Amino acid sequence: MADAPATPFITLNDLCFSYDEESGEVLHNIHLDIAAGEFVALLGHNGCGKSTVAKLLNGMLIPTSGKVLVDGIDTAVEETQLDVRRRVGLVQQNPDNQLVAGIVEEDVAFGPENLGVPSEEIRRRVDDALKAVGMYAYREHAPHKLSGGQKQRVAIAGVIAMETRCIVLDEPTAMLDPRGRAEVMDTVERLNREQGITIVLITHYMDEAVRAGRVVVMDQGKILLEGAPREVFAQVEFLKRHHLDVPQATELAYRLRAAGCDISGTPLTEDECVRAVYACYAAQKGVGA
Amino acid sequence: MISDITLGQFFPGSSVMHRLDPRVKLCMTVYYIGLIFCSRNWITLALTVLTALSGVVLSKVPAKLYLKSLKPIWFLIAFTGILNLFYGSGEPIWSFGFLSITRAGIINAVMIAVRLVVLILISSVLTFTTSPTQLTDAIERVLKPLALLHVPVHEFAMMMTIALRFVPTLLEETDKIMSAQKARGADLESGGLAQRIRALIPILIPLFVSAFRRAFDLATAMESRCYHGGAGRTRMKTLHLGRVDYGVLALCAAYLVLFVLLTALLPAAI
Repeated sequence: MADAPATPFITLNDLCFSYDEESGEVLHNIHLDIAAGEFVALLGHNGCGKSTVAKLLNGMLIPTSGKVLVDGIDTAVEETQLDVRRRVGLVQQNPDNQLVAGIVEEDVAFGPENLGVPSEEIRRRVDDALKAVGMYAYREHAPHKLSGGQKQRVAIAGVIAMETRCIVLDEPTAMLDPRGRAEVMDTVERLNREQGITIVLITHYMDEAVRAGRVVVMDQGKILLEGAPREVFAQVEFLKRHHLDVPQATELAYRLRAAGCDISGTPLTEDECVRAVYACYAAQKGVGA
Repeated sequence: MISDITLGQFFPGSSVMHRLDPRVKLCMTVYYIGLIFCSRNWITLALTVLTALSGVVLSKVPAKLYLKSLKPIWFLIAFTGILNLFYGSGEPIWSFGFLSITRAGIINAVMIAVRLVVLILISSVLTFTTSPTQLTDAIERVLKPLALLHVPVHEFAMMMTIALRFVPTLLEETDKIMSAQKARGADLESGGLAQRIRALIPILIPLFVSAFRRAFDLATAMESRCYHGGAGRTRMKTLHLGRVDYGVLALCAAYLVLFVLLTALLPAAI
């Protein structure tokens, strides 16, 4: 997944961005290609510019210099902004602030209604989208009666009902409890796997980034590191120097190794970590793993 | 709890009134309010009250709820009734100093009380049997011709939709802020009026700040989902007039004819 095909779906070309003159540049000369069907996690701590990138990807913000191309369309061109937004959907952090209508199914219908899709077609898309995120049973509920994870899934359904090909999620789980977080992450992963929807996940949870095909690490408005999760998280010291964490499993393996245990590889998940620790233990005791 | 307040008192159901097209219900409510205030004699008033009450019965919403909807305005009804009692011309039946009650005054008082009660009841039929979303939808569609006169009908409807969506969210938030301020020792319940109003400031300021933040997020979300005003927008749920709707409209038209005839032929009550 790390190497993108000849024509990427989204291209950031030498992108610079500043909100206004005084506050200075937020993003410096970013180059990034995202292929269709890819699952990219964008990592970095607060204020590194990752949320700004999210808004640049669907033309909510326009680059100060450089270009953002979505499916070959320049996001800076006013006339084609709707074409950009129907290709790249945005899901924001606060689950309460992005649902428009007082009934779940009407909220999901909001996007296609704006695009002028015929009524029966909207009905079909809304039902499909709600089924895809597992919220079909709640189609007639009021959003404020749902849990945070459910609201975020409705927000995702609202985006896929526009038949968008890419979803940008800006810290979608930051305000959720662990269960809601798992619901959202499972939904995102399934949409990527089963429907081939391109996912750009902006997060500061390392354990979520592990599930992506490619991880892009940002710091102070620049791309610091890029590659498959295992390659990126293998560089524990480098990440720590930039005040970034690694997944818990990787951290544990790193500390055990520092304490003199012979742990091989870079475990990313709990399972992998358990296996690595067991292998190390077995080797020490001379038992077959 | 502040969040116990219910807004738009909709009671889901499947009665005839529930199934009626919201546009028809909206127009009928306005129609009946017009009729009830144009009733000049007892016969038309009684007929209008009876047909309006049939709507109450057909809605299958418990009568208790209708009585509850009248409760907050009992005082207003009594007040206007009593005021009208002293406002008639003609031979006084009873007088005390400058106050005098005439026959016309009594009739006036009864009529105004009946009108107010019916007014509340028929508006309740509308809000009890129509969900806020349907109601907004109906208002948008009924007022659509005004868009030709550059009245921002779609924008108003969109604002109402969003307001209805956010009322529970903001109530919940107010509750949270109040608890947070109480936890820090804010005293919201004692002192005189001035002091209590002053105590609201630390609740209102955070509430406003957060409402603005929500508004920014919501604007981003709406734009991201290709919102660009009412032009070229389609709707998932379209409204269709059914047989019952046409039937009801025909009855209303027939009744209007009868009403006009009776008003012209019968002498006015006063």
